[in-house]
Parts: sequence; C-alpha cells; structure tokens
Amino acid sequence: MKNKRQMLWSALLKGYGVLFLVFLYLPLGLIVAFSFNANPINVAEWTGFTLDWYATIFQGASVEGNFDAAFTESPERIFDVIRTSFVVALSAASAATVIGTATALALARHKFFGKRFYQALLLLPMLVPDIVLGIALLIFFVGVGIELGLMTIIIGHVTFLSSYVFVVVSARLAGMDTTLEQASADLGAGPLTTFRRVTLPQIMPGVVGGFLLAFIISLDDVVITYFIAGVGSQTLPLFILAMMRRGLRPQITALAVLILLFSLIVASIGLILRNRKP
Amino acid sequence: MGFLQILSARKVYQTPEGSSVQALDDVTINIRNNEFLTLLGPSGCGKTTLLKCIAGFEDLDGGDLILDSKSLRSVPPHKRPFNTVFQNYALFPHMTVEQNVAYGMEVAGVSKVERDRRAGEALDLVGLSGFGGRRPTQLSGGQQQRVALARSLVLKPKVLLLDEPLSALDRKMRETMQIELKNLQHAVGITFVFVTHDQEEALAMSDRIAVLAQGRLQQLDTPTEVYDKPANEFVANFVGTSNMFAGTVASISGDRVILETGNGRRLAATSTAFRVGDQVRLVLRPEHLTILARDETGDADVPAIEGRVRETVFVGSTMQVHADIGHGRTALVSHPHTRRGSSDIAPGAEVRIGYSAASGHLIPMRSA
Ligand SMILES: Nc1ncnc2c1ncn2[C@@H]1O[C@H](COP(=O)(O)OP(=O)(O)OP(=O)(O)O)[C@@H](O)[C@H]1O
Ligand SMILES: [Mg+2]
Repeated sequence: MKNKRQMLWSALLKGYGVLFLVFLYLPLGLIVAFSFNANPINVAEWTGFTLDWYATIFQGASVEGNFDAAFTESPERIFDVIRTSFVVALSAASAATVIGTATALALARHKFFGKRFYQALLLLPMLVPDIVLGIALLIFFVGVGIELGLMTIIIGHVTFLSSYVFVVVSARLAGMDTTLEQASADLGAGPLTTFRRVTLPQIMPGVVGGFLLAFIISLDDVVITYFIAGVGSQTLPLFILAMMRRGLRPQITALAVLILLFSLIVASIGLILRNRKP
Repeated sequence: MGFLQILSARKVYQTPEGSSVQALDDVTINIRNNEFLTLLGPSGCGKTTLLKCIAGFEDLDGGDLILDSKSLRSVPPHKRPFNTVFQNYALFPHMTVEQNVAYGMEVAGVSKVERDRRAGEALDLVGLSGFGGRRPTQLSGGQQQRVALARSLVLKPKVLLLDEPLSALDRKMRETMQIELKNLQHAVGITFVFVTHDQEEALAMSDRIAVLAQGRLQQLDTPTEVYDKPANEFVANFVGTSNMFAGTVASISGDRVILETGNGRRLAATSTAFRVGDQVRLVLRPEHLTILARDETGDADVPAIEGRVRETVFVGSTMQVHADIGHGRTALVSHPHTRRGSSDIAPGAEVRIGYSAASGHLIPMRSA
C-alpha cells in the first residue's frame, strides 16, 4: 500500500521534472531547429533544411538562395554591432569587476559607520526595474551634458554590473578564512603584498565568475542600453530588436543561435572556474 | 626583568548585540628570554585574545606591550618580530609546502638560493623533508601543524606564539608532538608563548605557566609551584584534582597551622602566611592522602580523617579511592596499591585517611 503510493509519487515527480525541462528548453530547441528551416517567409513552418541563413550572416545577400535581399543585413553591419557589443561588454565588465571587487573587500574586511545601509544600497541596482534605471541614467547623462554614445552605454552598464560582481565576490570572500590574511601579515607581508599573494588568489574564482557574469549581462542588455545608446551606436541586442520591427526573418534565428552558442561557452568557462578548488 | 612585557593589558570586545565582554582585565606578564611560557585557562578566558594582542591582530584597550624597552602598541602586525602558529594552521592552500615555508623570507626579500636552503633546513627540522612539493591539503593534520611550525621558525622570530597547536591531533600524536615541540624549543632557543586549555599539556611542557580565568591572571609560576601551591581556589580546581576544605585558622605553632571546618573537623597544614581567625581553604591533592593501615597512627599531631570507602578504581600505578567522610563530602585518595593495608580497602570498609601537614597547602578564602 505504502509502496504503491511511493511509486505514484515518484512517477508524478519524474513527470513533473520532464515537463519542467521541456518547458525550459523547448523554445530554445525550436529556435535552433528553425534556424535551419528553408522557408523564407514563415519561420515556424518547416519546408526543408538549409544553411542559407547562417551564410547570409557571414556573406550577406551575395549568397545564392531563396531569400529577400531587402530583409537581409550586410555582414559589415552585423559585425559592426557585434564589435560595439564586445567593446561595451569588455570595458564595462572590466571596470565593474574592479569596482565590485574593491567594494566587496572593503565591506568584508572593514568596519565603518552605515555599513549595513551601504550593503543594501549596493543591491538596489539589481532590484530596480531596468526601465527605471534606463530612464534615470538617461536623465542623468542629459542633465550632466554627456553626449549619448558608446561612452554612456559603458558607464551605464558599469553602474549596475558592479552590483553583480559585488554579490559574487562577496560570497567568495565570506567563505574565505580570514586567518590566512593574518598569517600573511604575521609572516611580515604588508597589506598590498597580502592582497596580491593571498587574498586575490583565494577569491580569484569569484572575481573571474563575477567578470563573466557581468560580461554576459552586458552583452544581452536591451532595456537600459535602449535609453542610453543614442543614435550613433548600436549594440547587438538593439540591432536585433530593430530587425524584428520588420518581422521575424530567418536571419534573426540564425543570429540568435550564434549568440546562444557564445553564451553557453562563456557560461561553461564560468562554471568550470567556479568549481575549481581554491 | 622580562624582555617582552605585558603591562596591565586590557581588552574589551563590543558584541553586535551591544553588550561588552571584558576579554582581558589587567593582565601583567613578564615574558623571559628563551622561556617556554604557557597560557592556560578554560575556553573563553582570553588566551587567544592575549595572543592576538601580542601579535598585533587586536589592539589593547589599555596597558602596554613592551619589547626591549620599546612599546609595540603602534607597531602593525607585519612589523612585529613575532610569528604565530595558528590554531587552524592557516597554511596558504594555493601554495606548496615549500612556498608556504619560504613565504616570509620571500616577502622579506631573501634571495632564492638562500630561501631554498633555509626552507629545506626548516622542513628537515620538523621531519618533513621530501614533502616540499605537496599542497597543504595533501597532508595529515600533524604534518600540517609541522609545516605551520616550520613556516614560523624559519624566520627566527624573537617570540613564537602558538595557539592550541596540538588540539586537533589525536592523543598519541599530541604526546609525540609535545616532546618534539619542547625539544625544538631547546634546540632553536626561541621564546615560546604557548596557549592550551589542557592542564596536563601545560604541566608537561612549560617553564612557567600563566593561569587565566575570565580575562584575569590567576597565577604565574613554574609547573611544580602551580601544582603544589595553587594561588587560589580556581587554580587548585583547574590544575589537577584537589580535595578542598574551607575553615578557620584555629591555632598556629611555628609553621604548623591547625584549622577547623564549619563541621568541627580539625585539619593540619603548613604555612606562615595566616593568622588565627583567618578564613582559609586547605588543598590536599589525592596523592597526598593515604589510607592508613589498622595499626598505623600517621603523622603525630595530624588528626586522621575518618571515612567509609564508596568506590575504588584501579588505574595501574595507584588505586583511586572515593571515600565518604561525613557531612555529604567525598575525598579522593590516590593510594599506592603496593602500600601496606591495601588489601583492606574495599567498598564499605571503614578507613582512616592520613596525610602530612607539610603537604597541606592553604589558600586565602576568596573575599566576596
Ligand atoms: N571578536 C570578538 N567580538 C566579541 N567578543 C569576542 C571576540 N573575540 C573573543 N570574544 C570574547 O572574548 C572572550 C575571550 O575570547 P578568546 O577567544 O580570547 O578565548 P580563548 O581563551 O581563546 O578560548 P578558547 O579556548 O575557546 O579558544 C570570550 O568571551 C569571547 O566570547
Ligand atoms: Mg582560543
């Protein structure tokens, strides 16, 4: 009797698990599948296999195939926005890593007035709706008189990415044995040497993880970037959004799959680094 | 005249809940050159705090720390000529054993050749040559402890601070390391300040013992003095086992003191520090008591204690006899089992317990 009930539960649980995974991954699977769909008009109606859409990304409308050249972006344009996205993500994530790590260290190792308040304040950018943050940044830049462009995107990203790095590095620091730093000082090392030789190596997985997280978040941010990008510079997500205005064309699915692939690689590196023993 | 002086050290911690803890209260210790000094006390008495204040990880709230007649209070930890062996060893997990041992020298700018040579020697000294390439996680607890020791000793500090370095080891390993540490201290001629809550360890290893309780220094003396002449009730109870009797000094002749307890029991002790009418406690160690044979009279004018054996525990060298001696009290007698009369000792037997007045140590009653 009891056994039967247990079996029923276990079956239900398994079913639920499968459903959950399907729910999670079906859309991703579909977009991968349909990026190979030969149907040039309706992305969701399968008419045959093709690699044309990938080809157009790298070669543009010069590819022989059944697609509408008017709806195809040139490789130059695509790589231009990809470059912008990478420049933004690399510089913003780097700056955020330095700021976030320094802040995490200060809060973990020093006592000062208003520490709790400051800690809470640091988490705010992650909780505030993107749209509010976007508008706020826009008002700030316009008010201060900074011309919107690459620079404002980077500064804007640094503001909220620092919070993410802070959280990741703080978690790592919390798990670190503080007597290691005392031991270093005890053996004659000054504060800088101790940081370089003991603290940094100990928290490195957190720092790298924080950087990668910031990098990925910067790379796929749409809402905030939308407000502070100005007219001159466009990141990849903004570019895709603009393409979507003209309808869901097959080239977009191919581009999306490439982004997905890239994100997976970065995420895997992050996971591998994180699981490495300190 | 100590070469490292702790003068009226005071330390108060503020807890997050807003209350404060007096971790050190007016502690004065003159640490002598080349001595093995042990800080002994129960958990939470302030041993680690005192060590941290010496190393510089905590600031004193009062008092001073003097090395070679210069105050250390404004000297940061990395500039103090002391090294610490931490309770959890605090070996750098991302470095090899050799890198750990060489770290202090590297920071000090010692050349690579010199570093390698001295690190090798230090590892030799602690019996770990050949382990230099390993990571700390690939070592046993005892080996890690020795790496931590080598890492500190290699810098030839003026004082080596050790915070319960043996507490994580099993009994056998601990006893081996006690002897090794003691030998090492003789060999290198460095002052050791050693923290432990284990009184046997303290008695076995130290030149002098500083007994701490609740942040206060209770007694600072050689192991034999601490054991034979405990300064107060706390020390008498914490170091070794004591039979204690509270009473009033009834008469004095020479250095022979007779005291009378509240129950009318008369006991003898040797002391010149008290006057008739003083409130005192008599400390008698179990090994100072013997069960008298039927025809024995014991010390002439020392009244024997009448009792009834409740329980006997044979521990090899002696027989531990628990005897009811009236008024709800139990005396613990450590009786050499080869001694006369041993065969009479059995639960329920009426016995007389004897001792010599010379072994009776008097301590003043703590004033309320
Ligand atoms: N950072 C701190 N903040 C507040 N109170 C503290 C702090 N460190 C220690 N204390 C308190 O100070 C007292 C002495 O602590 P300490 O660590 O010196 O004890 P200890 O003698 O080393 O004990 P143990 O044998 O358990 O290691 C304790 O009551 C402890 O709770
Ligand atoms: Mg301690």
